[in-house]
Amino acid sequence: MASLRLTLPRHALRQTCLPTLHPTLSLPQTRKHSSVSADELTHFSALASSWWDPMGPSRILHLMNPLRHEFIASCLAEGSPSPTTEPRATLNYLDVGCGGGIFAESLARTIPLNTNTAPTPTLAATMTAIDPSTDLIRMARSHARNDPTVDAHLRSGKFRYLNTTLEDVIAGTAPTTTESSSPGSSSSQDLSQNSNPAQYDIVTLFEVLEHIDPKTSTPLTFLTNCLKALKPGGWLIGSTISRTLPSFLLNQVIAEAPWPIGVVPRGTHEWSKFVNPDEVKGWLQEGLMRVADSGVYRGGRAEVEGMRWKCVGAVYVPGIGWKMVKGSEDWGNYFWAVRREF
Amino acid sequence: MRPISRAVLRPYVCPTCRHGIGAGQRRFASKSDPLDIYDVVCVGGGPAGLGLLAALRSSPITSKLKVALIESQDLNKAKAWNLEPTQFSNRVSSLTPSTVSFLREIGAYDHLDTSRVQDYQDMQVWDGQTGSRITFDWSMETSPFENPRTVATMTENANLVRALLRRIADSGDENLSLFSNSTVASIENGSDLAPQGPNLSAWPILTVKPTTPTETTAAPKRIAARLLVGADGINSPVRSFADIPTQGWDYGRHGIVATLALAEPASPPFPATKRTAYQRFLPALGGPIALLPLPNNHATLVWSTTPENAAYLKSLPTPAFLAMVNAAFRLDMTDLSYMLGLPSSSDSTSTSPSHQDELAWRAQHTSIPPQIPPPATAVQTGTVASFPLRFRHAAQYVSPRIALVGDAAHVIHPLAGQGLNLGLADVASLSKTIQYAVSHGMDVGDLLTLERYSCERYLPNAKIGGACDLLHKMYNVPGEGPITWARSLGLGVVDSLPFVKGFLMKNAEGY
Repeated sequence: MASLRLTLPRHALRQTCLPTLHPTLSLPQTRKHSSVSADELTHFSALASSWWDPMGPSRILHLMNPLRHEFIASCLAEGSPSPTTEPRATLNYLDVGCGGGIFAESLARTIPLNTNTAPTPTLAATMTAIDPSTDLIRMARSHARNDPTVDAHLRSGKFRYLNTTLEDVIAGTAPTTTESSSPGSSSSQDLSQNSNPAQYDIVTLFEVLEHIDPKTSTPLTFLTNCLKALKPGGWLIGSTISRTLPSFLLNQVIAEAPWPIGVVPRGTHEWSKFVNPDEVKGWLQEGLMRVADSGVYRGGRAEVEGMRWKCVGAVYVPGIGWKMVKGSEDWGNYFWAVRREF
Repeated sequence: MRPISRAVLRPYVCPTCRHGIGAGQRRFASKSDPLDIYDVVCVGGGPAGLGLLAALRSSPITSKLKVALIESQDLNKAKAWNLEPTQFSNRVSSLTPSTVSFLREIGAYDHLDTSRVQDYQDMQVWDGQTGSRITFDWSMETSPFENPRTVATMTENANLVRALLRRIADSGDENLSLFSNSTVASIENGSDLAPQGPNLSAWPILTVKPTTPTETTAAPKRIAARLLVGADGINSPVRSFADIPTQGWDYGRHGIVATLALAEPASPPFPATKRTAYQRFLPALGGPIALLPLPNNHATLVWSTTPENAAYLKSLPTPAFLAMVNAAFRLDMTDLSYMLGLPSSSDSTSTSPSHQDELAWRAQHTSIPPQIPPPATAVQTGTVASFPLRFRHAAQYVSPRIALVGDAAHVIHPLAGQGLNLGLADVASLSKTIQYAVSHGMDVGDLLTLERYSCERYLPNAKIGGACDLLHKMYNVPGEGPITWARSLGLGVVDSLPFVKGFLMKNAEGY
């Protein structure tokens, strides 16, 4: 059975989207020390209009989304960030690079509306989703309003879309209200949360790592920042694509072949920017040591030796869908997770 | 697809295009009428609709969903349904083992009155034209020392509906609303409740009205559905709202049903609990006649025939009707055609011989096959009825926030007794889909959720419906000819090749 591996349609719609449609495209968030590439920002903003179209170029991503929930559940089963043993909806999530909110919105849907209802498998209590693209955040907020549950969470502040960068969240300079224009959505109690960057139980990084701008940032500093946002005991969970010969064949040759073989538009993938599992693991080891650094103590072997690292490949088979396949992480898409120990 | 504005399906519209689209949109909703928001709203309280509700209530993942069911009949009456042990409703269905296991899974089977339910372990099907025969039982799969496996289980629909209602009532809490004696007055797209509320412009909003005149004082209720399920039958209003077309045709045949009492069988069945269903194809008369066992030596009749024959049979007095039923399992096509031409009046002054006499005389001169049902001796009064046979298949089962199940999605020829089973298989699949969606943070009304259901059910339903249609057409070619030879050869081959037969049976029973 031929299996195709696909990734975020990065340059999808490049041919179909008229550049004149976005004269007001705003890129104010690209700051000096941001990991965000202006190129990527332009590209993803252009994708905004089709982001939530179930048959559009982001379809493969939509189909992958349930697997993210399963992977998170498997991480939580391995080690809960909250010290209490009984499962309760207490976890604070941060979704970095939320885009149009495919994952963020689905996670927000699992936040219980009132405290006496049973917790969901994600144990989510709050969700903060950040993306540097103003257009995507606006679109994500607008889509979230189509679901009364998610809309209620947006209004109560349990679910926030912030048009900011990870660097700003770490520095504590991110805007704290979800939408300045929206009445009734003021969440003043959240102001205190942002003063301490290490406030999240789960930081998610789905299909983001391969979009780091090498000119302004490196995956290492970016991942270190993600770890800084984690509470001890929390999980950093992500997914990306490996840079191997099979992934080149499947992503570049088969998946982008002309219709009817190919399922993603030509120019979607940039194979050279993909990252391999051992690279991610290496950066995370270094990141864990840096996070442990303090004035009097330098992180070292102790941080690395106890490192809880999970990695599992995911395969897309046309007609069947996404499946997790152990050992397939070298072929293309894979999920990874690391825990910041207590 | 129903007209949903592009702005709803694709919420982001770039700034330069936005001026044109927003102009015609309704920007406000009247704040006076309250709007209840439900996760799943099911229109239709038949076995499919109630099955879905019971399945959702029985799973710990979906039991907290806010669900509603709208039914125009009185559900309390259906829940209190009761008949004498010797009386049987004429609306009877055969449940395949996979349907029974689904009903067990959702806890509904325990509420079924099993004294009114009959398993059968053997099915005799033969061709009235050529006499070729096929026996369906599980003997090729099981050892002769174990009890014969059930081919199907006969139950009255009312018994099943009552069981499902009891199962649902058991799980009742504030998240469950049953709108009994109520009809859907209208379904329309919602509106954007900005700035106070969510944007419901792609949500179906139903206006529910009580049917009984005494309750007209109650104001019609407006409810919004995250997922609107059409379990509302062949003329589904939900399907019309979703603007989903259906393909299909009328067979030009009617099915006659009746509850019959049978004579004691000539030789007692072995083992004693073994029961047999009989179906004989009558190509010259327009379709098969089937006799399916009910408890206490009763049976339910389903006779598919032309509307003229159906009208004639329904007009016959009881003894003549019984004679015709018994003749249909015994006599040749020519004899049967002749008997259908006899005057139907019970006028004793008539000189023409009665149906009973004709049967008695003609049976002596016919070689009667060994496997036939015991003669029918009585008809339960008021149970002879008929209904038109049709084939329908919806072009699609899902649309944003809409799903169709059961007869709203497909209506098939009843000759294999698969209609209700397909409907409940839809329900099993849809409830599993909803469970998956809830546990993975998906919106249960989203097309990405619903396509899982539609992918799972569309082809199996088309396959079974198509097979029934093909059988109907093959067994409507009267006389001798290539098709007649082919079908008797085919039946003979299938009957003598156990693995082919096993494959067919597994397919038909959903294993």
